[in-house]
Order: sequence, then C-alpha cells, then structure tokens
Amino acid sequence: MKFEHLLGLACAAMIATGLPGMASAEDKVVKIGAVFPMTGNAASAGIHAKYAIEVALDIINNAHPELADLPLAKNAGLAGLGGAKVEVVFADNQGSPATGQNQALRLITEEKVAALTGAYQSGITLTASAIAEKYGIPFVNGESVASNLTERGFKWFFRTTPIATDFVRVYYDFLTDMKAQGAKINNVALVHDNTEYGASVAGTIASGFKDKGLNIIDIGYVSNATDVQSQVLQLKEKNPDVVLMISYTSDAILFAKTMQAQDYKPPLLLADDAGYSDPAFLKAVGKVSQGVFNRSAWSIGPPGSPSAIIADMYKKKSGDEMDDTAGRQMEGFFVLVDAIDRAGSTDPAKIQAALKATELKPNQLMMGYKGVKFDDKGQNSLASAVIIQLQDDGETYLTIWPKTNAVKQPVLPYKGW
Amino acid sequence: MMRRSIWPALLLVILLGYPFVFSTPFQQRLGALVLLYAIAASSWNIVGGYAGQVSVGHVVYFGCGAYAAMGAYAHFGLSPLVGLPAGIVLAVAISAIVGVPTLRLSGHYFSMATIAVAELIRLVVTNTDYLGAAVGLSGPTVPRNIFDLSFISALPYYYLFLAVLAITLAITWWMTNSRMGFYLRAIRDSERAARSLGAPASRVKLYAFMLSAGLTSVAGALYAMMFGFVDPESGLGILISVKILIMAALGGAGLLFGPLVGAAILVPLEEISNSLLGGKGAGLTFVVYGAIIVLIARFQPGGILTLIKRQLERRAGPQAKDAQAVATGAGHAP
Amino acid sequence: MSFVLVQVIVGGLLLGAVYALFSSGLTLVWGMMNIVNFAHGDFVMLGMYAAFVVFTLFGVGPLAGVPFATLLLAALGVVVYFALIRGIMKGPMLAQILGTFGLALLLRYSVFWWFGADFLSLPQNIVGGTFAFWGLRIEAARLLAGVVALVVTLGLHLLLTRTALGSKMLAVAEDATAAQLMGIRPDTMQAIAWAIAAGATGLAGALIATFFYIVPTVGETLGIVAFVTVSLGGFGSVPGALLAGLLIGVIESLSGYLIGAVYKDIVVYALFLSFLWFRPQGLMGKT
Repeated sequence: MKFEHLLGLACAAMIATGLPGMASAEDKVVKIGAVFPMTGNAASAGIHAKYAIEVALDIINNAHPELADLPLAKNAGLAGLGGAKVEVVFADNQGSPATGQNQALRLITEEKVAALTGAYQSGITLTASAIAEKYGIPFVNGESVASNLTERGFKWFFRTTPIATDFVRVYYDFLTDMKAQGAKINNVALVHDNTEYGASVAGTIASGFKDKGLNIIDIGYVSNATDVQSQVLQLKEKNPDVVLMISYTSDAILFAKTMQAQDYKPPLLLADDAGYSDPAFLKAVGKVSQGVFNRSAWSIGPPGSPSAIIADMYKKKSGDEMDDTAGRQMEGFFVLVDAIDRAGSTDPAKIQAALKATELKPNQLMMGYKGVKFDDKGQNSLASAVIIQLQDDGETYLTIWPKTNAVKQPVLPYKGW
Repeated sequence: MMRRSIWPALLLVILLGYPFVFSTPFQQRLGALVLLYAIAASSWNIVGGYAGQVSVGHVVYFGCGAYAAMGAYAHFGLSPLVGLPAGIVLAVAISAIVGVPTLRLSGHYFSMATIAVAELIRLVVTNTDYLGAAVGLSGPTVPRNIFDLSFISALPYYYLFLAVLAITLAITWWMTNSRMGFYLRAIRDSERAARSLGAPASRVKLYAFMLSAGLTSVAGALYAMMFGFVDPESGLGILISVKILIMAALGGAGLLFGPLVGAAILVPLEEISNSLLGGKGAGLTFVVYGAIIVLIARFQPGGILTLIKRQLERRAGPQAKDAQAVATGAGHAP
Repeated sequence: MSFVLVQVIVGGLLLGAVYALFSSGLTLVWGMMNIVNFAHGDFVMLGMYAAFVVFTLFGVGPLAGVPFATLLLAALGVVVYFALIRGIMKGPMLAQILGTFGLALLLRYSVFWWFGADFLSLPQNIVGGTFAFWGLRIEAARLLAGVVALVVTLGLHLLLTRTALGSKMLAVAEDATAAQLMGIRPDTMQAIAWAIAAGATGLAGALIATFFYIVPTVGETLGIVAFVTVSLGGFGSVPGALLAGLLIGVIESLSGYLIGAVYKDIVVYALFLSFLWFRPQGLMGKT
C-alpha cells in the first residue's frame, strides 16, 4: 500500500510545484514565449530553433558593437525599455496542435509573456496563434509556410518567412536563368511527401509552374517512408529535366541513398529547403548529393560580416552549422524584439502597432530578405530567398543565385557522387 | 446502501467546485481537458472495459466527431455544434460496418484489425482534399455568436464537458444494470459459455461497439470545438487511440469511474511535466511519463481504482466484491 | 514484363526480408506468451544505436556492431522480462499494452536524452557498394540483411521445432502449469524466449542501420509495420512472419510504383483487412 501513498505524494508535489502561477517578473525583464517541437518527430528542428533563439538573446542582451547594423545588437538590452533584458520561456509542443495551444495559453496566462513565437509545424502554429489572437497577444512566426496562416483575418499574427507563392517566383526565375545557360527545364518532377508542408507547397508550385507552361510530373509519397525505391525508379523512367524535392530530413536521407543505389542522377536536382538544409542531411549523405541546389534565405558572408559572426556563435552554441530554418526562426525573433524595443513597452497593443510599422532594410537583417514590412494580412511582403548549391565535395552550401548575391558560379549538371 | 451513494455525490461536488478552487486559466483548461479525455475514455470503456474487446482504433470515431464539427463550419459556415449529430451518425454507421467483420475476430486479432482500420482511414483522409487533406480543417477562431462555441475562458468548456461526461457515465451505468450489461459481463468472462447459455453474443457486442463509437465521436467534436482545428494526425492518429486506452486501463477498465480516474492522473501528469521539463528540450517529459506508466502497469495491472476499491472494501466489508471481480477480469486475452 | 518491374519486385523482396527480419522477435513473444509488445519498434531502434555506438567508438562496421547489438539486446530482453513482463503477463491484455507502451516511451526518450534528436547515419556503403547484374541493382547492405533474415528465420524455426530447448519453450507456451509439473521451469524458458526475441530484434536493428537513418523516433515507423507483418503471418509463426514480410514488401513496392506511393500503405491495410475476413488466424497461425 506504500505505492498508493507514493503516487498520491507525487501527484500532490506536481500540483504544488506546477499549478500556481509562477509569474514574478521583474520590471527590467521582457518575457517572450517560444513554442517549439522539443520531442517527437520534429524535435531536431525544435531544438535547433532553441539554440538559434539563445544566440539571438546573447546578441540582444549583451553589447555586440561588431554587429551594429542589426537593431538591438549594439548595446546591452533594449534601449527603448531602459536597457531591459529579454528572457525567453521555451515550451514543447510535442508535435501536437492541442499541446501547442495548451502551452501557448500557459505562457500567456501563467508566465505573462509579452509576445509569442513558434511553433514550427504549420498546424500547431495555427492553433497556438489562435489562442494568442483570443487573448490579444502578438504572435510572430518566422518559419511556418502554410499559406492559410495569414488568410484568417488575424490582427495579432505576423509572419516573416517567404511562403509557397514566393518560392514559385524564385524557382521559376532561377530555372529560367539556368535555361539561358543551356539547361533543359521543360519537364519538372515534383517529389513531395503528403504532409501539410509537402502537399501545400507542391500544390502551389504545380499550379504556378503550369501557368508558366512547364510540364509537371507529380510524385507524392507518405512521409517517414521505409523505402523509396519505387519513386526513384519512377523518376528514372520518366527522366524529367528537373527534379524538385520537397521532403523532410528522414525521407531526404533515404532518397539520397536510394538515388545512389539505383544510379540515378537527374540533370538538375533542386530541393525546397526543409530536410536538405538539415546539418544532419549533410553529415549523412552530403557526399552523395554534391551539386544539389537548395532554397535558402541564409548565406554566410565573408569573414567578419555579421552573418559570419552569427554563424560562428551558433556553431559554438549548437555544434552544428547554421541552416536556413534556424536562421528564419532567429530572424522572426529579432523582428519581434525589435518591435517591442520600438514600442518602448510590453503593452500588447503598442507592440502590435510597432509590428505593423516595421520597416527593416536588408542590411538590418541577418537573412537575405529584401526587407521586412508586413502587409495587412501580417505577411512579410519583402520576404525572398536565394538559391544555394552544395559544393566543395558535399561539405558546404554556397550561394549561386541571384547574381547579386552569388559567391560562386552554379555547376551543372548534377554531380551526385 | 446509503454509503454507496455518497461517493458519486462527493465526486460531483468536487468536479463542480474545481474551477473555483483552481481558478487560473491554465488550471481551468487542465480541468476541462481531464473531463474531455474522461469522456473519450469512458466511451471506450463500454466496449474495451465492459465487453472486453480491446479496440486500439477508437480514434476513428473520435475523428468522425472532430471532422464533422469542423466540416460543418469549414464547408457550410454552420456552427460546429450542427456537425455533432452528423458525427454521431457517421461514427455509429462506421462502427457497424467495421464491427460486423472484426468483432468475430478474437483477442489480439481484433485489436490489430482496429489499428489497421484506423490507419487506413487516416491515410484516406490525408489524401482527401475535401477533408482538408494533410492541412486539416479549422473552426471559427473569432466567434460569430455563442453557438460557435469558441470561448476565451475554459470555464464554459469545463461545464459543458462535465455535463456530457455525466450523461456518458449515466448511459454506461444504465447499460451495466440492464440485460445488456449482464450479457457483456458474461461474454467477457467466457464468450463460449455465454453463447451456450443463449446470450446473443455477436449482437450485444455490436451494440456495445456502436454505442461506444457514438459517444466517442461526441468527445471528438468537443475536442475540435475547443482547439478549433483538426488534422489527420491529431484527429485520426494512432497515438490518440492509445492515449484513450491507457487512460481507461490506468484508472481501471470495466469500472464506471475508472476512465475518469485515469484521465485525472494522466492529463495533469502530461501537461505539468511538459510545462516543467518540456522547454529544456531533452525529452525528459516522456522519460518521467513513461516510467510512471510502467510502474503503474507493473504494480497495479488492474488500474488505480481497483487499488482504491480494495482499500474501501477492506473497511466496508465484503459488499463490493462484485465490482472487484469486474475490475480484475477486465479484458482478459483469450 | 518491363525490366523496371523486375527491379521493383526484387527491391520489394529485399524490403520484405527486412520487415520479416525485425518482425521475427515480435512474433516469437507475441505467439508464445500472448504478450503485445508495443515497445518492439524501440528495441529495433536500440539495435540501430548500438551499431552506431560501436562504429563511432571503434570505427568498425557491422561485423562487430551486429554481434554487440544482438548480445546487448538479448541482455536487455532478460532484464525487461524479469523487471516488467513477468509481472504483467498474467494480467489483462490492457496491462500489457499499458506496460509496454510506457516502456516504449521510456526507451525512446532515454535514447533521445543521451544522443539528442538529430538524424544519425552510418557511412554510405559501409557494407560495400551496390551490385549490378545485367542492369539489376542491389545494395550490398540490403542483400546482407535479406540473407540474414532467411538465416534467422530458418534458425528460429529449427530451434523451435527440432531442439529440446524449443520443445520446452513450446510446452511452456502451451500450458505453463503442465510444463512445470514435467520439471520445466516456465520462468527460465520465458526469459530465454525474451533473450532470443530481443536479441534477434537487436540484430535486425544493427543491420538496418547500415542502410537507414537512425533517430530516436524511428521505432514508431518500424513498429507498426512489424505489427501488421506479425498478424498477417499469424501470431507465433516465424515462417509466417517471413512470408508476410515478403508479401508486404512486394505489395508496397509494386503499388508504390504502379499506383503511387501515397496509396501504397492504403493498399497494404486494405488487403490485410480483407485477408483477415477470410482467414482470421493469419497466414500460418493456429486458431
């Protein structure tokens, strides 16, 4: 019967420690909530987001004159709030829309956060931002791409990342330039999983490309596949000019391995960020994916440039190379804190007004956007992306397009291994 | 007899008063979630606990309710409430179609078949654009009127869920005391013996399955109304099935209040351990959660409530022997 | 028949052999002890990490990783049997689901805690490249796994049907009390069964690691495949699991190629359910 007592004790202890409101915020601290997947299938992405935000906190809370172009970097803390420090409360969404919403509620009501960021998976961003909307708390998202997020008529939701309609433009312009250099681009195979990310991005790209007169071969598969040989054989048989991969890390690794095993090299392999940007992808199969093109808004400048310094800080913190997803999350967070700083207050309405008035120039950003300025739906109208290519024996991605950003020339055809 | 009726009354007082004692929004929402999962687990209990048919695919019926509620809003601009009866009809119809062939399977084959049905339906929905495919369906975030059931406070949800739970438990109680409950107990203990004594085993099991499915769909509809969203993973994922099942099993399957006890332990355990440990990003939440489930299964395989019952019994004398038998015999694999 | 179709079928058979390989341990405990092991996929995952650790620490490939993973998991199987399974196997089926599901979370997130959530991978071609015969391409790693699957299946089958140990184990499975009266100790036999089952699962994991990615949640993906394989094959039937694995592999591969990968799991589940309708005890199971 000891067990019963033990259990009762454990429950009591949990209620005692967990339930009462723990808000005892000092005046000089601005609290921000961050909801990310820290467990479950997307945990790797969530944990890297945490590192990215911790690096951003270092930049914001300490003086970094070497990054003076970025807002908030120069002095320690937020000048607009008398040097107040920023504190981030992280929460795990466990890959569930319900948990994401519960945690967002807890951050708003128990932790009394001034604003929220997150939540990686679009479906969870949707439910978590819904509770923020109800409470009138600003929610800035830096990485979820589902287009419906900014179509809900929300007043408190802002998104900095480019979305599928932006990708169509970037990819089409890039492919047209490649065509001018002699590549064929008439037949495009879209290889995508059937998650909300894969299906919605593939759908937008397919209709966008069809309007431009390209021929689309649609090859869908179920995410976290055990085997992709059939898909690679389909590709081999249909022999498209361009293969566009819209895949998470697990499937991206499997595709790379299977392509090598089946000796299949498309003339031009283009990836839509996600799995192909994961440092784990490069470690696992970078050597057999040489020459793959990838979408990114992140690129490391020359040594001493702000992005190189940030990349270095991130590597020290996480042990991994900075990638586009972590970068977009970091940028979203910077935009949010910059708005709080300009609002000079943690009053939600003032932060909302400051977010609406956001107008950042490219040199004030760590990412390669054309700026940050929100339209009336809360979407960043200046979001954009560049194309990078895996060069140097599959070790690093280098920016190759557009010309203004390029550090190297694109290499065609796809080398593989 | 007086003593036996005092416990439900006491429980009712506790449940009615909880939001006033624990009055922060998060605590109130926690209470509402406990009740929501208690509804789902109690509904499962009818077929999984009382009839001993361990369905691991109950999320299908949960999803029927959730999708019907969100579909009513997304496609017809109606209140999600309108979708609720449609969800019940759908769930009962699907359970009849699924139940006829699968309920003849014994033990583990039945469980496996229910998993396969659930995965099949999840995959089909994931590829059905009308149901939002992988993106899912969302409900009204900014309520147009009260019938959209989109509230800021968890309090209305709490009392709504409490009322539905009371109805679910009343139906269960009524069922166990009817001829059907008698048959179910007989079937669970030995289906062959029950059949030879003339119990219409197939029919009774099917009715229990349909009743259980209909009630589970209500839980799904309420879930979707509260969170304003459903997608294949959160509305039809196998984890939800398992979650419903372990709540009932942990509290005590085949006992009226077992699922409520299970939900009252597991939901706060999950949410609070997540709140305390989740932000660290080390997966500790589930190490703790998993360890506690293992310990309970190892040392109290019949569920927490059997333990409490046994304690009470020891004090009250041998009256409640019947309930004890129900609890330990729950879900014996043949 | 087009040539690509041959490649598709061969790939499906190799995939199916892998399914059979990691399902054999599950069918053994499920059939013999009537235990549903929800942690099975996570046993496979542990085998994969064991192989990975051996590789990172000593730089040696599957030659050392596979035996290490097998022994480690066999030991773990015994520990799990005495610490958990023995206590819950006489209880209701629900207690087994509860206990093994809790164990699954515990194992998965202990690994997560230790190794982190990143995707890991053994070097490409650790078993040695890809064979090409007349244009037919077969990965050495998958071929190895396929051959081992046949060997393991045969070995387990012979163990159960031709050896004294096997007869004793089956006797315990049939009727533990009667077996005890005949001087067989059920506890020992069942612990041995768990050691064999978990060991075979660890072996499978270590082999799969040579051509798959490694991540703490990989057991979820593989676990459900194992469940379907085992029930299609018939609980407790090792040859049944092999047959079912090969069948599922080929069906997945063919439907993925001919209809589209989005529908291949739908095809598998639909066929599985309709099969249960005609033969509720699985391919080679007893009623």
